[in-house]
Amino acid sequence: MRRVGLAVLTAAVAFGQAGPARPEVDTEAAERGKHIYLQFCVNCHGNLAKGTDQGPDLIRSVVVLQDREGGKLGPALIGLPNHKRDLTKRQLADVSQFLKQRIEETSKNRNAVKPPNVLTGDAKAGQAYFGAKCAACHSPSGDLAGIARKYDPVTLQQRFLFPRSGGRGAPTPKRPQVTVTPASGEPVTGALERIDDFSVSLRDASGEYRSWKRNPDLRVDVVDPYSAHNELLDEYTDADMHNVVAYLETLK
Amino acid sequence: MRLPAFIACAAAVFAQGLLDPAKLSQPLGDSWPTYNGDYTGRRYSALTKIAPHNIASLSLAWVYRANPGQGAAGAGGNASPVIKGTPLVINGVLYLTAPDHVWAVDARSGREIWHYAWKSKGGLHIGNRGAGVWGGYLYFETPDCNLVSLNLRDGKERWHKPICDLDQFYYASAAPVVAKNHIITGVSGDDLDIPGYLESHDPETGDLQWRWYAHPNPGDPEAKTWPSVDAMMHGGGMTWVPSTYDPELNLLYFGTGNPQPVIAGKARKGANLYTECIIALNPDTGKLVWYFQPSPHDTHDWDAVQTPVLFDADIGGQRRKLLAQASRNGWFFVLDRTSGQNLIASEYVKTNWTQGVDAKGQPVPNPAKEPQLDGVLVTPNQGGAANWPPPSFSPTTGLFYVSAARAFSVYYIYDDDDKPEGWSGNDRGGFSETMLEAIDYKTGKVRWTHKWPANGGTRSGLLSTAGGLVFSGDTGTNLVGLDAATGAILWHAGLHAPVTNGPITYELDGIQYVVAAAGDTLYAFSQ
Repeated sequence: MRRVGLAVLTAAVAFGQAGPARPEVDTEAAERGKHIYLQFCVNCHGNLAKGTDQGPDLIRSVVVLQDREGGKLGPALIGLPNHKRDLTKRQLADVSQFLKQRIEETSKNRNAVKPPNVLTGDAKAGQAYFGAKCAACHSPSGDLAGIARKYDPVTLQQRFLFPRSGGRGAPTPKRPQVTVTPASGEPVTGALERIDDFSVSLRDASGEYRSWKRNPDLRVDVVDPYSAHNELLDEYTDADMHNVVAYLETLK
Repeated sequence: MRLPAFIACAAAVFAQGLLDPAKLSQPLGDSWPTYNGDYTGRRYSALTKIAPHNIASLSLAWVYRANPGQGAAGAGGNASPVIKGTPLVINGVLYLTAPDHVWAVDARSGREIWHYAWKSKGGLHIGNRGAGVWGGYLYFETPDCNLVSLNLRDGKERWHKPICDLDQFYYASAAPVVAKNHIITGVSGDDLDIPGYLESHDPETGDLQWRWYAHPNPGDPEAKTWPSVDAMMHGGGMTWVPSTYDPELNLLYFGTGNPQPVIAGKARKGANLYTECIIALNPDTGKLVWYFQPSPHDTHDWDAVQTPVLFDADIGGQRRKLLAQASRNGWFFVLDRTSGQNLIASEYVKTNWTQGVDAKGQPVPNPAKEPQLDGVLVTPNQGGAANWPPPSFSPTTGLFYVSAARAFSVYYIYDDDDKPEGWSGNDRGGFSETMLEAIDYKTGKVRWTHKWPANGGTRSGLLSTAGGLVFSGDTGTNLVGLDAATGAILWHAGLHAPVTNGPITYELDGIQYVVAAAGDTLYAFSQ
């Protein structure tokens, strides 16, 4: 096997039999464990258990990751100099639960705990950009009046960039409109229901569902109400994006 | 490619019912014996019965709905499996997988022969890419980190071996690849900062033969692409898409995934080798032969795991052994697969994250497009310009086919700590449009594009044939056959759900079948 010498340094080395699924964190035990951690461990391993110059990262520790109720943690502490060796079985289990809680939090931190602060732009520059690129369709005293009261800044950012995906709390996006013109017959316009290379369907103004099998003689024209937004994605600088958000935030 | 001696000898002793290893190096015909059909990753079949002039008569032959059975899945299992793996076809039997499950099905009729259910202990059940076969034995990975071997004949378990650790947040999803007497297994998992690796196991016993980590040894010159040994040893680089293999060069090729922490890269300054790399390994030793890095210092989750496709062809007036990848970051690369030398580097969709390429042909990331606290607009998005669904290459047309997406999103940093861990950020939102692209390998230019009319993604792999066809799922629920040279649509079948795997083809009793999965169902078409 390659890299035997490296094995001791590498987090993933020791598997044994794959163990049972990770148990749920006991939050009450974790809270008790936190107090023990703050008393005996925090100076070297840090507030978040990510380690310091004095002690290693415990979130990345294989002993901690594989621990169940202190069963590995206890023997490890006994083997380490300058560590608390007389914790009771329950205290060890509580510390283990606290560390497991930190691990679980880390493993889920692709989700924001609080919204990012996206208000870093220049509102005046954003207003100028709006006047040049957006004012043909939108008005701060018309459709966008009070928009900043309806949406938080992150949603504002997402809404103007990606109106179809919208951002959290956004209304149902407008559907594309489609006009279908048969070789012989009148054009029919309505809200696009579904389209692929082989069929197209719509719901017309009366609410009637209509569908056609596509062929070269059937003309299909789709108009996406958000096409101007989509085309701007290639034009925005990041400064434009931040400036426009800052401007929209003034529309209270 | 010349047939290596070990394959020629082994072929003589393999009885009916077992996989003749010579099949793995032959043009695809009556079988589909490994994840990509053959070792090259081209997903190109020599079959010609179904062709542009007669594809209109292609119609449904059979349907098989995978039934996992009640209560079989165990922890984390799915009641309704999604078939993302590519089935194998060996001696008239089709083997398909979903997380914790393997089914053997009559490839002529779609009738179930046996079903194996693994009692799971957990792990992320996001998908299973398929199985590998050596002789009379089948191998597959389970989400709870086991390599399981079954008898091909009856689906009875022979043994299982741990290949990763659930406690460290690994899981397993790759299709094992059989190269000589090596069962090559990959691993998955990017919730925590753990190293990726590739393993080789003995086909008889399952014992570990070697493990290759996706990071250098401390002290290696490449270790300087990390700020510290600790960052390097926890730097990710998962190996979740199956390898390709050149028996003549005896080199195994695969891509490595994103570095860790995934989004917040401030505590891992540098290129972060060997994450985001195309890797060439010696399968007998696990020794690195060369690497090429499509995404140095990635901060966008753009795993460079897309299938490295192997073919021998003329380029620059010279016949060369080539490797091509359409990478998740939007760039198409052609390398000399003997050395890793870059020959072509070009965008196959427009991107906004690079400052050009370096002397090795590797894109240079623009630091301004790394994720920011207030967001940064990036294309492609996290899903990428391409993802795991396998591409195809036709030596008949000289075109590399890829299911490509043009997508934007905003990348945010969520944790401004000096030592971020895990992800510490993400992307949000998005506009995307999806298309089937045919890329000229000689120039890297897109020869033709078919944009699917409805926006949204597709998770369909691709298949090309000597009959002059390309098969793909669209963004709706159709399996589509196109002219491989022009991209003209020639045939389609409406399924009940979008295509979820790489379509395959095989010929039995003079009948050519095309098989694709949609959710939990396999659809077979023939004439």
